[in-house]
This record gives sequence, C-alpha cells and structure tokens, in this order.
Amino acid sequence: MSNPVTPRNVVFYADDDADDLELVQDAFARYANNVEVVTSKDGAQALAYLQSLQEGASIPCLIILDINMPLMNGREVLKKIKLMPRLDSIPVVLFSTSSSPQDQEFAIKYNAGLVTKPLHVSQMEMITDLFIEHCSDEIRRNISKHSR
Amino acid sequence: MTLLEFQSLSQDEQVTILYCQGIYIGKKKNKKYTKLLYQLESFYVEVFYSSYRRIIHKIIVSNSTTILDPYLEQIKLEYFVT
Repeated sequence: MSNPVTPRNVVFYADDDADDLELVQDAFARYANNVEVVTSKDGAQALAYLQSLQEGASIPCLIILDINMPLMNGREVLKKIKLMPRLDSIPVVLFSTSSSPQDQEFAIKYNAGLVTKPLHVSQMEMITDLFIEHCSDEIRRNISKHSR
Repeated sequence: MTLLEFQSLSQDEQVTILYCQGIYIGKKKNKKYTKLLYQLESFYVEVFYSSYRRIIHKIIVSNSTTILDPYLEQIKLEYFVT
C-alpha cells in the first residue's frame, strides 16, 4: 500500500539571525510531515521571494518576520505584504527579541501577531504552537492531524 | 522587582521573568559564549549561553551601565526617545 499523500504547508520565516533561523527550523521539525519552512536572511530578500510567487503557485500558510532585519525591517515588509492582494490575507507574525508597546500597537494596526523570541529552547514548543495558532482553521486542523 | 529579588530566584524563574518583562538590548558572541543582554526594570541581566538558547552557562545581574559598553553599537536611539 502506498503512503497517503501528505499536504505540504509552507511557513515562510525571515530573520537575519542565523541562530534563530536554526532554532525555528528545529522547532518546526516535529511538523516536518506536512510543514516546510522556507527562510530568508533579510527583509528585502523576503519581499523579493513573496513577490516572486506566481499566480497559481502555492503561497505560505504563515509568514513569520523578525522585526529587526537589515535592508528592510519586518515592519516595512509587513506593510508591503498588506498591499499585495494575493498575500494580504496570509497570517503574519512579527517575531521580536522583546515586545515594546510600539511593536504591539503596530502589530494590532496591521492585523499581525507578535511573539517574543524565547530565552530558552524549552519555551520554543509553546512558541511554535503560538505560531500555528495564527494559521487558518483549515491549516491548523491539517497540521495537528498529521503531527501527532 | 529589585536586583536582589531577581538574584534569589531559580534560573528557570529568572528566564521566565526575562521572557515576559525583559527589554532586549543586544547580542554578543565570543569563542566560548553567546551572550544576550536585557534590561529588567532598573538593572541589567546578561545571559551566557554555551549553546545558544539551549544551554545557559550562567546569568549575571548588574545595576552598572558599564555592562552596556560591549553592546553600545547595537543600541538603537529610538529606545531612548519617548
């Protein structure tokens, strides 16, 4: 009997900190059956990737943006995403080293989540769950169904 | 919370409080450690990782601004503008 085809959901994550990129990729490893993490090292590269997604290509189910990135910060990338009709409804989470009131106001204004980076990997499982919570109901059901 | 109260907590409790209330200042790496510096109320907390975000070697606490010196180039002026 052949294995059932497992749907792949793309989580797109942009962060200039290589250590944090690795940490998040590791955290999503438990969803590896049906989640693929695509990464980018700065805001400009992130925007270029998102703009390159052709009509008909599968789009990410979740976008995670580090706030402080070179070339273009996460806030600027988020503003651009909200101007892109194909992408403006994708859930976005701003991932920050610490959340200031300004970050919180900005996230609310642009309908994004705001998650603080962990101090210890033991907090990462909870944070990954917070990320997944921002996905649509359909994606969440799909991910949880295949990850246990 | 005072510096002494923070010092009296277990490492897990310190990490939890830093996660919820700490203001990130910067990150530094040397051959042995990756260090993150946070401000917590009126004092500073520096977390030394022997494996980044995985193994904490030690946490030091200071109320002296000299702890900021290695991180100064990373500190953004916007954090000081009210």
